[in-house]
Amino acid sequence: MARSSTVTSRSKVLVRRETRSAYLFLLPNMIFFVGFVVIPMILCIYTSFFDSTMGNDTKDVFIGFGNYVELWKDQIFLRALKNTFVIVLVSVPVVCVFSLWVSSAIYRLRGSILSTFRCIFYLPVVTGSVAVTVVWKWMFNNYYGIFNYVGKGVGLIDKNINWLGDEKFALWCIILILFTTSIGQPIVLYVSALGNVDTSLVEASEVDGANSFQQFWKIKWPLIMPTTLYILVITTINSFQCFALIQLLTSGGPNHSTDTVMYYIYYTAFKLYRYGYGNAMGVILAIFIALLSAVQFKLAKEK
Amino acid sequence: MKKKRMLALGLSIIMALSLTACGGGDNAEKQPAQETQETQKTQEAEPEAAPEADTAGDTAEAEGETEAAEGTDLSAAITLWTYPIGNWGDSATVESLVASFNQKYPNITVTVEYLDYTNGDDQVNTAIEGGQAPDLVMEGPERLVANWGARGLMVDLSDLFASEAGGEIYESVNSACKSSDGKYYEYPLCMVAHCMAINQNMFEAADAMQYLDAENHTWTTENFLKAVQAVYDSGQENVGAIYCSGQGGDQGTRAIINNLYSSTFTNAEHTAYTADTAENIKALETLYAQDGINFDASINGGEEITLFRNGTLAMSFCWNAAQQINSDNAAAGTTNNGDTILPMLFPSDDGKTELCGGIWGFGVFDNGDQTKIDAAKTFIDFICNDPDQVNESVKASTYFPVRPTLTGIYDGTETADTMNTFSTYFMPSMGDYYQVVPGWAEARTEWWNMLQRIGTGGDVATEVATFVENANAAAGAGQ
Repeated sequence: MARSSTVTSRSKVLVRRETRSAYLFLLPNMIFFVGFVVIPMILCIYTSFFDSTMGNDTKDVFIGFGNYVELWKDQIFLRALKNTFVIVLVSVPVVCVFSLWVSSAIYRLRGSILSTFRCIFYLPVVTGSVAVTVVWKWMFNNYYGIFNYVGKGVGLIDKNINWLGDEKFALWCIILILFTTSIGQPIVLYVSALGNVDTSLVEASEVDGANSFQQFWKIKWPLIMPTTLYILVITTINSFQCFALIQLLTSGGPNHSTDTVMYYIYYTAFKLYRYGYGNAMGVILAIFIALLSAVQFKLAKEK
Repeated sequence: MKKKRMLALGLSIIMALSLTACGGGDNAEKQPAQETQETQKTQEAEPEAAPEADTAGDTAEAEGETEAAEGTDLSAAITLWTYPIGNWGDSATVESLVASFNQKYPNITVTVEYLDYTNGDDQVNTAIEGGQAPDLVMEGPERLVANWGARGLMVDLSDLFASEAGGEIYESVNSACKSSDGKYYEYPLCMVAHCMAINQNMFEAADAMQYLDAENHTWTTENFLKAVQAVYDSGQENVGAIYCSGQGGDQGTRAIINNLYSSTFTNAEHTAYTADTAENIKALETLYAQDGINFDASINGGEEITLFRNGTLAMSFCWNAAQQINSDNAAAGTTNNGDTILPMLFPSDDGKTELCGGIWGFGVFDNGDQTKIDAAKTFIDFICNDPDQVNESVKASTYFPVRPTLTGIYDGTETADTMNTFSTYFMPSMGDYYQVVPGWAEARTEWWNMLQRIGTGGDVATEVATFVENANAAAGAGQ
């Protein structure tokens, strides 16, 4: 009895020690998480209820939901919200479908060829966004861009199109660039996920007479669902947060046709110094991202 | 199960919120890279009327008799953040200026960081919010006085203006550096008049030189339009561009529009925007209808200069003395392929062009440390007032002095002729420095957005009225 009690006591000490070690290992990360995630998040929500601006003589004035009410009357914000949703609703499915298609085509290739393809598709991801943007800007140039040059050369267009300076085209140009910088990671992940699908299941289905489409839809697709879910969530968040491209290429123009919520947050906070208003937008954006992510989780789980 | 779901939802909200809370950080939160060689010479600032820069003939006698200047034994470490104002954006040049300062004040350490006009404001604002504002910043009144000064972030520099050198500063420059409450938040070093330029070879090929006075660099509105038409008819599809992708170089678009039929951008008291005049509307309608003039929402002032230099455009509305002496890609005063660049005043119907300009100088952030404030003032006093130093300081800016007693700055240099041309024909035409009207940041944005809407077919009168309404709303909120 005494022996058993000693053992229990020792195991409790061991558990406590391991727990303590675990928390100590977590501590550095927790400090960053709390300092750079939790506290800014709380401050963001808190400041959104104030009329807050920069200055030594200024004081934050509590206005309750005033910023949130103003948001829904702000035509520029509403346009930015609409543009953001267009970007998300177009780019997320296109990125997922395209990367799945490419991955399905290349994942069985020989090692070196597969690596080459992976490098090609991943290159825009690892290249600095400023460099990528500068190249695209040159290609879209109104006067000597390659798109106008080729378009006129093959007779697709009669005269130069001001791709980034025309409301009809600017947002689609942004979506195109976002697409090229977004597909790299999903392709790498899908190639890996498809390569990990248990071949015995595929072979068994083949014996049972399943065709390629059935094999994909009934065997592979369910098995790569966690990867798909991850890709959907990450691509959604990235699309919602589209900022650098806008700032570097169009500054939200022409006529606010490429404003996104992220860019408008930046503009409101850093150009107009309306911190409370900008944070209110941040909270709204976060709620939309969370809701959309939750829906994706739910749908993926049902699937 | 429900708990897990709630937990998952909560976590995703935290993730999303944290990302938005940090959003914009890519550009906004990084500190300025020390030693960045950003020498973009497209300035965005605009000054007030300045008398001739090379009148009265005495040599520079600018003793800074301020309290700060007395303390040669002052010991402090201060930071200077500078926008790319001529060669004040070039580390080698600035280091030599700081070295001169340290010869006289060895106990004051000056750490310099270089900003650019794309992200500089964000960097300064982020530093202010983080309690890490620089001790010294070099820029123009629209930032130092109308923005940071008006927000109570800057130190009053009245004592520097009380010095002998400070008393010599042109009255128009002096008033641009002063806030509405009478405090001085900028001590000026240099100024320039922004103008336009033409590709002389293209004009000659189109027989369009007959429409301008090349010797005096002037032309009338009527002749300007004839010249543009002639160049267009000669096969040059893109003659000029009303660039409007952002605020960079926007003084050029304001100047061409305001001068064409002699109108104004703000009232004389600098309390309201008055751009909705019949003259401005007529100017915009005329430019929109003119062959060869594009309202281009995909380029800003800097990009327009690039297009002018590479021969895509036949004229630039974003020019000044620094551009004229720039020899980065070709000999000074020529385009990349060697065509001659002729600087011109903006056309006007009454023969009286009013140029927008820039006044640049130093402001001191009130960081609560009197020793550093004194050290910063000592630096300003040395750079701007020391008779043995001020010429080099102005020369580094590639612009013109703000005191009539400083003459012959560029004598003996290879740019002397060009600088003399600018001081003789352009500096006297500097107009009202209106960039200190409250709500300036919003008004600038409204301006280029208005140009974008007009460029895509918006009714000019309606769009100008919208601009004035929104800009004045911002001005009202800012007062």
